[in-house]
Amino acid sequence: MDHNLQLTETPAAEAAGAPEEQAAFPAVTKQKAEKKTGFWRDQGKRAKKYWKLLLFILPAAAFTLIFSYVPMFGVLFAFKGPEFDLTKADVMYNLTHGSWTLNNFLHIFDDPDVGKAIGNTLTINVIRLFLCFPLSILIAVMLSELKRQWVAKTVLIIITIPNFLSWAIVIGIWAGFLHPDTGILGRITGHIMANPYWFKPLVVFLSAWKGAGWGCILFYSAIMAIDKTYYESATLEGANKLQKMWYLTIPSIMPTIALMLVLNISGMMAVGFEQVWTMMKINADLFNSQMTLDTYLYNISIVNQDDIPYATALGVVNGAIALALMLIGNAITTKTLKRGLW
Amino acid sequence: MEEIKTTVPKKRSFLDRFRKNPNKIRESVMDRVLNVLNIALLLFGVLITIFPLLNYFSLAFNDGYFNLDVVFYPVRPTLASFEYIFAGNGATDFWRAFGNSVFITVVITIVSNLVEAMAAYPLSKKDCPCRSGIMMFFIITMLFSAGIMPIYLLMLSFNLLNNIWSVILISISNVTHLLYFKTFFEGIPTDIEEAARLDGAGDLSLFFLIIVPMSLPIIGSCCFFTIVGTWNSYGSAMLFIPESSRGVPNMPLAYYIFYFMNKSVLDTTDSWLQPNIANVEAAMMFMSIVPIILMYPYVVKYIKSGLQIGSVKG
Repeated sequence: MDHNLQLTETPAAEAAGAPEEQAAFPAVTKQKAEKKTGFWRDQGKRAKKYWKLLLFILPAAAFTLIFSYVPMFGVLFAFKGPEFDLTKADVMYNLTHGSWTLNNFLHIFDDPDVGKAIGNTLTINVIRLFLCFPLSILIAVMLSELKRQWVAKTVLIIITIPNFLSWAIVIGIWAGFLHPDTGILGRITGHIMANPYWFKPLVVFLSAWKGAGWGCILFYSAIMAIDKTYYESATLEGANKLQKMWYLTIPSIMPTIALMLVLNISGMMAVGFEQVWTMMKINADLFNSQMTLDTYLYNISIVNQDDIPYATALGVVNGAIALALMLIGNAITTKTLKRGLW
Repeated sequence: MEEIKTTVPKKRSFLDRFRKNPNKIRESVMDRVLNVLNIALLLFGVLITIFPLLNYFSLAFNDGYFNLDVVFYPVRPTLASFEYIFAGNGATDFWRAFGNSVFITVVITIVSNLVEAMAAYPLSKKDCPCRSGIMMFFIITMLFSAGIMPIYLLMLSFNLLNNIWSVILISISNVTHLLYFKTFFEGIPTDIEEAARLDGAGDLSLFFLIIVPMSLPIIGSCCFFTIVGTWNSYGSAMLFIPESSRGVPNMPLAYYIFYFMNKSVLDTTDSWLQPNIANVEAAMMFMSIVPIILMYPYVVKYIKSGLQIGSVKG
């Protein structure tokens, strides 16, 4: 049995370079053969061994190709002229006929709504970055300070509940809670969910209510992985709780914090479409003053399809900015943390 | 050499004679204040999570005329709202939406995770041909999308608008899960596979009889996230299914609840529904979280096990 096992090719041996060939040819020709064995020959040989396994990739690749790559060619719609009209002809006809233009991209710069949408998106995301993100870390640190593990876990399980509710339910619950006539809190505060001034704070608050508990699990598990002896020696040295938190816990989970921070910043252009759109439904006034990039895109792409090429152009620009942010984030993490975002 | 005296005479406080273990390192006053503050704040967090849930879901079991008195339990308990959505006028739409959601969730969970796990298996092998190229092919889709308009137009040309299959098809590809599976498969020792190959296992039987049973933890986690994500999301459905009575037969449950919430109360001619609409909404929401509640023991197990994937791959 042992003999047989040795005969079967191990991946490592194969990666090192064709064991059979090395055995079959004398040393001089071996070098030549290695020179000839370029990248493609090597790949071909591996493909011969793996062709059955490569079929396993096919279904996933097919779905990705049709539903992710084909829409990427939809970028072409962004260059179509104003005569693009779905009511007169189908998509393919519109794509192949009619003029091509760059005006859709230029139009983005003189659309006042785009500026407003980007401003709202960035405002909400910056507030979230400064409030929600530290909140998750704070909850994780606080949980780790509890003496009894089961209490910490019970609290954790309870505060993760809202994460498993859909946005329709979360907003339904809070709209009921803050209803000016029937809600317990709303009878005191008035109809703040319909008030444009309260919109952004409420978006941030509801994100925190839904997501902070779930977000802290990552930090909590990172804190739990810290060696307990550090805390013991810190205690012996006379460190108090705050000092232990600040000089021991936070630096220990710094890689996790940095990674999540970069991830958060990479997602700066999106607020969470379901949440904002559902909250806007409460009062029609919110649509115009509080629109974010996502809701504006949804509005011009799906709700009123007045100008499909323009909607595509704006979507493409949005995607390009998001891509740039992701690449920058990845570059930062690979440089500082020695690992990529994916 | 002279022996250095290390023991410092301990200063005994008066309170020490009442303490069980006077030699233990005691926490300072500051630390104890912090402890109390910590517990108080966490308690506040728990309350602010629980209270709106109790307040709102007790409406589901309450009579609509007494909604003002509800604090955190139903004042006039009744099941009328549930009757309305189970057997009354609202039953047809509600159960159709519920069925749609179950169908969409089941199909996406099975197909998506199966397809991604199968793709991850060859990619987990170090000497797979064009490995980094194929990975790049998948990862690019995670980074760039051309927005919602092209996807809408794609579904339009497939004639799949206002159809639940559009919601299913768009959600099958899930590169995050592909990465999770790949990372996990890379950790499985190759000796096991070699032994199975010697016993005559082909690629298919090797994958389904050896690899899949060994990866049940990761498959379970990914399936769980797919189920919760699919059950609760309605963003993709909003792209393809119109928010009107025309779209109602094809709406998943979360979308239907969203639609029902925004339907003006004045639309209805039903005299019972007028005062009870908040209760019916609460009852629908309650029904829609029942599957999630059933899965909560899994969440508890998952949290207790310390959340491994999260810490391995952010």
